[in-house]
Amino acid sequence: MSPLALGALYGIVTIVVMCSGMPIAFALGVVATSFMYFFMPASSLDTVTQNVYEEIASVTLLSIPLFILKGAAIGKSPAGRDLYSAIHAWLSRVPGGLGIANVFACALFAAMAGSSPATCSAIGSAGIPEMRRRGYSPGFAAGIIAAGGTLGILLPPSITMILYAVASEQSLGRLFLAGIGPGMLLVFLFAGYAVYRARKEYRIAHAIYSQGGVKSAYLDDEHFTLAQKVEMLPRVLPFLVLLIGVMIALYGGFATPSETAGLGALLAIVLIAVVYRMWRPRDLMPFLNSTIKESCMLLLIIGMSLLYSYVMSYLHISQSAAQWVVALHLSKWLLLAMILLMVIVLGFFLPPVSIILMTAPIILPPLREAGFDLIWFGVVMTVVMEMGLIHPPVGLNLFVIKNIAPDIPLSDVIKGTLPFLLLMFLAIILLCLFPGIVTGLPDLLMGAR
Amino acid sequence: MSHGFDTKPTAGPALPATPDNPVVAGLAGVLDRFNKFALYLSMVALMLTALIMTYSVVARYFFHTPTDWQDDATVFMLVGVIFLCAGYAQSYRGHIGIEALSSILPAAVNAVRLLLVDVVSFLFCAFFSWKSWTLFHEAWSEGQTTSSTFAPPLWIPYSLMALGMTVLTLQILVQVLTRLTDRKQAVTQQTVTGV
Amino acid sequence: QSSALKISHQFPGGSISEGDFRDRLTRMFAAEVGKRTNGSLKFEIYPGSSLMKTNSQFSALRKGALDFSLVPLNYAGGEVPEVNIGLMPGLVTSYEQGAAWKNAEVGKELSRILLEKGVIIVSWIWQAGGVASRTKPIVDPSDAKGLKVRGGSREMDMILKEAGAAVVTLPSNEIYAAMQTGAMDAAMTSSTSLISFRLEEVSKSLTSGRDKAYWYMLEPLMISKATFDRLTKEQQVAVMAVGADMEKFAENAARLDDSGVAAVYQKAGAKVVDLNAATVKKWQDIARNTAWKDYAARNDNCAKLLKLAEKLL
Ligand code: NA
Ligand code: NA
Repeated sequence: MSPLALGALYGIVTIVVMCSGMPIAFALGVVATSFMYFFMPASSLDTVTQNVYEEIASVTLLSIPLFILKGAAIGKSPAGRDLYSAIHAWLSRVPGGLGIANVFACALFAAMAGSSPATCSAIGSAGIPEMRRRGYSPGFAAGIIAAGGTLGILLPPSITMILYAVASEQSLGRLFLAGIGPGMLLVFLFAGYAVYRARKEYRIAHAIYSQGGVKSAYLDDEHFTLAQKVEMLPRVLPFLVLLIGVMIALYGGFATPSETAGLGALLAIVLIAVVYRMWRPRDLMPFLNSTIKESCMLLLIIGMSLLYSYVMSYLHISQSAAQWVVALHLSKWLLLAMILLMVIVLGFFLPPVSIILMTAPIILPPLREAGFDLIWFGVVMTVVMEMGLIHPPVGLNLFVIKNIAPDIPLSDVIKGTLPFLLLMFLAIILLCLFPGIVTGLPDLLMGAR
Repeated sequence: MSHGFDTKPTAGPALPATPDNPVVAGLAGVLDRFNKFALYLSMVALMLTALIMTYSVVARYFFHTPTDWQDDATVFMLVGVIFLCAGYAQSYRGHIGIEALSSILPAAVNAVRLLLVDVVSFLFCAFFSWKSWTLFHEAWSEGQTTSSTFAPPLWIPYSLMALGMTVLTLQILVQVLTRLTDRKQAVTQQTVTGV
Repeated sequence: QSSALKISHQFPGGSISEGDFRDRLTRMFAAEVGKRTNGSLKFEIYPGSSLMKTNSQFSALRKGALDFSLVPLNYAGGEVPEVNIGLMPGLVTSYEQGAAWKNAEVGKELSRILLEKGVIIVSWIWQAGGVASRTKPIVDPSDAKGLKVRGGSREMDMILKEAGAAVVTLPSNEIYAAMQTGAMDAAMTSSTSLISFRLEEVSKSLTSGRDKAYWYMLEPLMISKATFDRLTKEQQVAVMAVGADMEKFAENAARLDDSGVAAVYQKAGAKVVDLNAATVKKWQDIARNTAWKDYAARNDNCAKLLKLAEKLL
């Protein structure tokens, strides 16, 4: 069987097994090991556990639970509620203000964490309930967090960009800077959509109420005097201390990126202990428990997806697909379109890290030859891979949301993220038309090349 | 297993009641005790990890003390957290899957599908546990260590992985047996797994 | 499925004529063996750890789950302590000396130990390395005092500690960020990696490995014994012969990178400093009392290997 036919079979079997309802982690493992059994040397089965262990046992990856812990400590304590009350008070006049605030919160957290699911979890654990409490539809609230969370790998620091920089032999500093412009673009697109959608939901809620239907929380017209607003400000303080503390540790050269995960988690716990007197085991257990549940689910998926991508690599599936695209000898922009399409398809099944490792060596040389700036391409590819994080079947951010808010049906979550997928697609077109959005900042700060 | 220390009910489906069959119920009880123990242990490990990482920053920056054991210690502890709690997560079906079919299929077909999913998951996890113990044995008998400067023995994390996967396997086994031996089960299960 | 033999490595992928020389070497090797065996042996090359994690490669070779790997030998030090000799500070101080290992007693003994573990060295590749620093250059051991340095291996960390540095351990993908922010002051690694990590952007000085160095790493191309035994006699001969032919290419390319890295850092405005025999001797003396001693004390094989290697000094 040719690698491409084998790839098609692999994809079909994966979809079938996943749709059977088997937990994603086991489904990935089952598909991978059965293909090992049928198509690979018997000795491959002996390496299964070591491969999974080597994947999980990295300081970089294991920072995810600690980032989740930091988010949970704030999000599942009164700190999160106070923070959102203050934001709500200040932005109550702005339609979709809370949605905007959540997008910005994701962006800020993304600047501290290198991973998207961690960003999603940290902001979503407080953000989703708060938005829903104020009338946002569940799908919309989930969409904002799922999409906002993807900024984790576009805004520095970013695990995937580090890998891309090494594979493409490009400057990591330049790549990090290049991600900021498109990151801002997405933030503004997301925020703009949040305003639009919130107004629409507000109008619908208003119409329902005026026809004698139920009153949505959207319509709770709360007035805040300036004095009330100012009074609420100190409640934001713990969050600001945490944010600034971690930023200084990271960008001031005190801690390495993964160390800031531990530092941030500890700082968050200390803050809620001091400010909210939450220091007894009884107080800490709820968010330690939720952190463990979520990390366990997420990291088992990540570990097993390594196994899954190992089989894909061994059977030369992604590589053959990439080689096939390259061998078509397409014109410049068609080549780009095909490659991005392939990244999208791979994004159905693989997390960003695996996509980069497998395809970069094959697609980068022809792209370079076609005259594309590899820094620019790296950023565009990152945005495309961000899309993969929020579309099924394997979309890590979707699973995080499902875990935070289990009562929102997955179909609602997916519907809620769809508009954001379209916005990301729009962003990609904008990046193609105006490459300066990507290259402007690094050229300004590091000099044009 | 209770959710006593949750602020609010999370993690989807309600827990199945005690299995009807006394043997299955006994095994479920033992696993519950282990899961609780693993959970508390993991909570401590998680806090310790955050502490150690912070210590490492402080020690290096302010006291110029080399940091060589912290990475291994944190990795070992977090690997322990992930694997030792895998069975706990399974006990309330916290390993997320795509439940698109449950609302489409007739109840009887659904029951068969759910049983089949659990049996295949069980087989995979049993295989993974077996290979984890093999890995543990290799590391133990050859005296393998990590390749870091501190070089602690690898049987430590491998044993955590093997033990955790074994408990996960047993947890799924209990769920399979519960499905097979319980009369009331078939009804309650499908109501809780909707998309 | 394809019957092609799999070659895995962790370095950036390129083509047969361009890119990281370690990747080029595997491609040249594959092409030449293919030619000499009339196409009976085919290869698939997996650069950039795209097949498996860097640290899984050695054990996959041993189990026969991987056919070839080009990897720093000391990475397997946790599994087989003897291989730590592949990056022993000051034990090799020139390419000529490194090249002599293969046919000397030390090389034969190392090969015997590896064969026992199910691995065969096809091509003996040595590489010098240096130190990139965001402050002053680290030339003399006393320069390292008080700096936060990443040695990258147990043995390098030992001499750095002895020299008074605060040794930092972090994954190689975090080196750039840590150097940029100042979480780390200096990193020791091979010339080629100094180039591909682009540390010149965040460094003020470089201690180059050209001419004189105490940092030499054995980074062989290896084949799984299980795979080797499956080959026909002629195929085995071709693999070993081409492997030996590659050694000259590797040495030249490594030397080119040693001077290349100096040029890159110079161009980026960093201060480039070379070592001399006296400074190398100082580091070697420290190593003798720390890393060498520690290594020899591990087991009888290690002690014997060290003694044999010292004969070539
Ligand atoms: Na980030
Ligand atoms: Na996806």
